[in-house]
Amino acid sequence: MRHARIIFDGRELDIDIDANDRITTSEGETLDVALDSDQITWLPPVKEPGTIFALGINYADHATELAFEPPKEPLVFIKHANTLTGHKQVSYRPDGIEYQHYECELVAVIGKSGKNIKREDALDYVAGYTVCNDFAIRDYLENYYRPNLRVKSRDSLLPMGPWIVDTADIPNANALKLTTTVNGKLTQDGSTKDMIFDVPFIIEYLSKIMTLNPGDMICTGTPHGIVDCQPGDTIVCTIEDVCSLETRMVSEQKFYGDKY
Amino acid sequence: MTANTLVNSKLVCVALNDKAQLAALEGTFNEAPYKKPPTQPVLYYKPRNTWSVDGAEVEWAKDFDGNDVAEMVVGASLGVVIGKETCRVSAADALDYVGGYTVVADYSLPEQSYYRPDIKGKCLDTSAPVGPEIVAADKVATPDSLSVAIKVNGEQKSAFDLANMERSIAELISTISRIMTLQPGEIIAVGFAGDRVAVAKGDKVEASIEGVGTLTNTLGGA
Repeated sequence: MRHARIIFDGRELDIDIDANDRITTSEGETLDVALDSDQITWLPPVKEPGTIFALGINYADHATELAFEPPKEPLVFIKHANTLTGHKQVSYRPDGIEYQHYECELVAVIGKSGKNIKREDALDYVAGYTVCNDFAIRDYLENYYRPNLRVKSRDSLLPMGPWIVDTADIPNANALKLTTTVNGKLTQDGSTKDMIFDVPFIIEYLSKIMTLNPGDMICTGTPHGIVDCQPGDTIVCTIEDVCSLETRMVSEQKFYGDKY
Repeated sequence: MTANTLVNSKLVCVALNDKAQLAALEGTFNEAPYKKPPTQPVLYYKPRNTWSVDGAEVEWAKDFDGNDVAEMVVGASLGVVIGKETCRVSAADALDYVGGYTVVADYSLPEQSYYRPDIKGKCLDTSAPVGPEIVAADKVATPDSLSVAIKVNGEQKSAFDLANMERSIAELISTISRIMTLQPGEIIAVGFAGDRVAVAKGDKVEASIEGVGTLTNTLGGA
């Protein structure tokens, strides 16, 4: 089963989507609408977002691409809900920068609280998986708490969704094809099998430091194949058997409108 | 998570905002891995599992083998509580967006490096007490002239005048609001004394700002 949050017919709804793409609301109502309909506005799929953990350089080939040694322990940074946006929504490119790239990532959504969770038990704490695009702006990198908040904590630069797939429906999260297209052209073609630290390892690691809680999310990093993105570009991040996340880039001025 | 914390959705902390600390570390910051001193505010989050309240016990941290860590430290800051949605505001207008002030304590492992996000050091459960209350902004006339004091078991260990901050409260709000839209109840801990204060198991720690309050917590593990 898949789970999402949408606005449909003026109502904000929590929905389940079955194997035949049939949509049922949490009230038990069946919606007569196709998943690709423009009548659906997709919201970020986690209803009460908690702490978002993201991994840097968690694929060996991406580490090489960025001229880093693969890390010996996870490189983790934190993000908050201001960065989230949904499927088919917009993300912005800040003014006056040279290089902003997508990062297609598998996300594990935490379903129950735990501390000191053992690796072999870790998936019991995962409600499901989704896809995110953890955009980065390389111009803003500085060597202090790198990647710093100016790079990774901006409004709208963590599209996620469209839905969460139950953990039980993904027998092996480390054997999934991962691709990104920009304006229909394939730019990233990898597999979650090349992840350095997998979800159970990361859960064991983080929960030795702190309590994980429902609604927390772990964004697991991206493989080789990043390119600069410009306003007007449409970026689609896909992970096999999980979902495809579409994002359109706009300028900073367009995004902030009156507040620009 | 401790119930009823004063923080809504986000606690942003500003590191390296003590001019004396920046001056002392200038040589270090010109070398690898930093290569040059920071050009922007150095920010970190205390996530929701860290949030706690006045009077609460702060857990003594464990290492990765499950043993008690050898050392913990504390810093204290003025907490600026956002009063209304704050998006891309100028420094001149920034203080109009402040709803109130409080005290934030940041318990952590000693700060050894600023190169990577310090998840292991900073994200410990119950390590960010905030309180004892939120004092309305109009009761605090000149927040940049306040002083933050830390006492351990009744003895003063640290005093930090906010006049010695590299960046002012208004400047920080403006800069941060151009990275992220801030919401009511979100808190910015604007600056800590560069020298964090060592604490031991069972210590009683009081973080005080005149006119804002005294935040009292006890270290666990005793």
